[in-house]
Amino acid sequence: MPLAIKLILFSLICAIPAGLLSFNLLTDNLGANPVEALEHTTGDWAIYFLLLTLSITPIQQMFAPKWFMPMHLVRRVLGLSALAYALIHLAVYFVFDMSADINETLTDIAERPFILIGMTALLLLIPLGITSTQGWQRRLKRNWQRLHKLVYTITFLGILHYALLVKADLFLPLLYMTLFGILMLMRQFKLPRLR
Amino acid sequence: MKSFKPYRSQFKESQVTPEELFLNRRQFIQGAVAAGLITSPIAALADFNFAPNSNFRPDLKLTDPEHALNYNNFYELGTDKSDPPRYADSLKTDNWQVRVEGLCAKPQTFDMDDLLAFDQEERIYRFRCVEGWSMVVPWIGFPLSKLLDKVEPTSQAKYVEFISILDRENLPGQRFNILDWPYREGLRIDEAMHPLTLMTTGLYGKELQNQNGAPIRLIVPWKYGFKSAKSIVTIRLTDKQPVSSWEQAAPDEYGFYSNVNPNVSHPRWSQAKERPLGSFFKKKTLMFNGYAEDVADLYKGMDLKKYY
Repeated sequence: MPLAIKLILFSLICAIPAGLLSFNLLTDNLGANPVEALEHTTGDWAIYFLLLTLSITPIQQMFAPKWFMPMHLVRRVLGLSALAYALIHLAVYFVFDMSADINETLTDIAERPFILIGMTALLLLIPLGITSTQGWQRRLKRNWQRLHKLVYTITFLGILHYALLVKADLFLPLLYMTLFGILMLMRQFKLPRLR
Repeated sequence: MKSFKPYRSQFKESQVTPEELFLNRRQFIQGAVAAGLITSPIAALADFNFAPNSNFRPDLKLTDPEHALNYNNFYELGTDKSDPPRYADSLKTDNWQVRVEGLCAKPQTFDMDDLLAFDQEERIYRFRCVEGWSMVVPWIGFPLSKLLDKVEPTSQAKYVEFISILDRENLPGQRFNILDWPYREGLRIDEAMHPLTLMTTGLYGKELQNQNGAPIRLIVPWKYGFKSAKSIVTIRLTDKQPVSSWEQAAPDEYGFYSNVNPNVSHPRWSQAKERPLGSFFKKKTLMFNGYAEDVADLYKGMDLKKYY
């Protein structure tokens, strides 16, 4: 299969949750609070894709699988998917929660730490998306890796944003934080080759 | 996008006449179903004896009962909004009793027949959750003051504490100490005696559903929803301000009063607006949830930022 087709297919797979969400939106199946459903689902998937992005390197080190396309491309599509879900998440918040009012949004960012944190995570993710191409990788040379290590901070902030939002049940944010911790820890050691 | 069908109030001005006040339950249900006023999920539920009280905003557009029955905060049954309807069966309501005790002359235990013997009236109230969503529900019940009158509170009774069901064996949410179970809430005695404060036994013309706090709950329409304790087993008159479960969990976020107030933000989000269930856009939240005329006097001279 040509690489371009593989890229497109993999991107489409990553877009399935968005497709399902759109379908449920159009068929009025998002329940009593459709905006909340849109926000929670897109936020969840942004975090899932960030965690998936972070798990590629340890998987490579431990299992060195035969990837269906070059590993860096798998990681790039996952990272760009995280960005896409985060942008939809922001758009829904801006239009439906903030009535598309810039001033109201700025006030909200200033007053609510969890909004500020989420917004920071997204703003940091945007340059990573823009510079994800090979052209930028060449141009930035060693700085490219330095820049892209921001994804660790971004993932942490993303999960923190979630943790600060919930009322009492911290199970899921703590689970994501634990997974993030494990993925970070794996980067501190030389991982055993298991295969 | 399927258009959202407004659920219209079944009661018109013409129905206020006394002889029409008490409807035979069967006639009422048949009439409502025939008129297409009761939509499928609720129509299947057991019917109920009550009289609509048209003094309570029959003009408000009701929330689709499907939303009110399927989007619930009831942590005893789970923390997700879809958990309470999913695990509704694990709430056992057989032989329910409500003990009313504490600083009163005649402490008593009431079973459901006693409680349903109070005249049941339907009132359409706004309901505003502290999380920023809202609904308009036709509740059925009777003023709490009528129940408290029966036990004759003493002059030392300054507060009323409400305690909900404790059943760790059956209630999935009580297996985790997300809140300090059983759920506890409280009101000042004048708030409890206020005519708007409703002991609630039904909604949308039907008996209260488990996910909504069956068989009997409180509805205090000018306060955030969590003040309206569900599945109540004990009502205690006391001289000390009770500490509610939410107050205990996060005192800086959920105060004893918790009156709906668009001008006092929750520490993590604004309370200026709310999203009615089923709608995409928000609307402005009203002071005391629109009941300022009735209740503002209770808080005269109080700094509502301090007593949130």
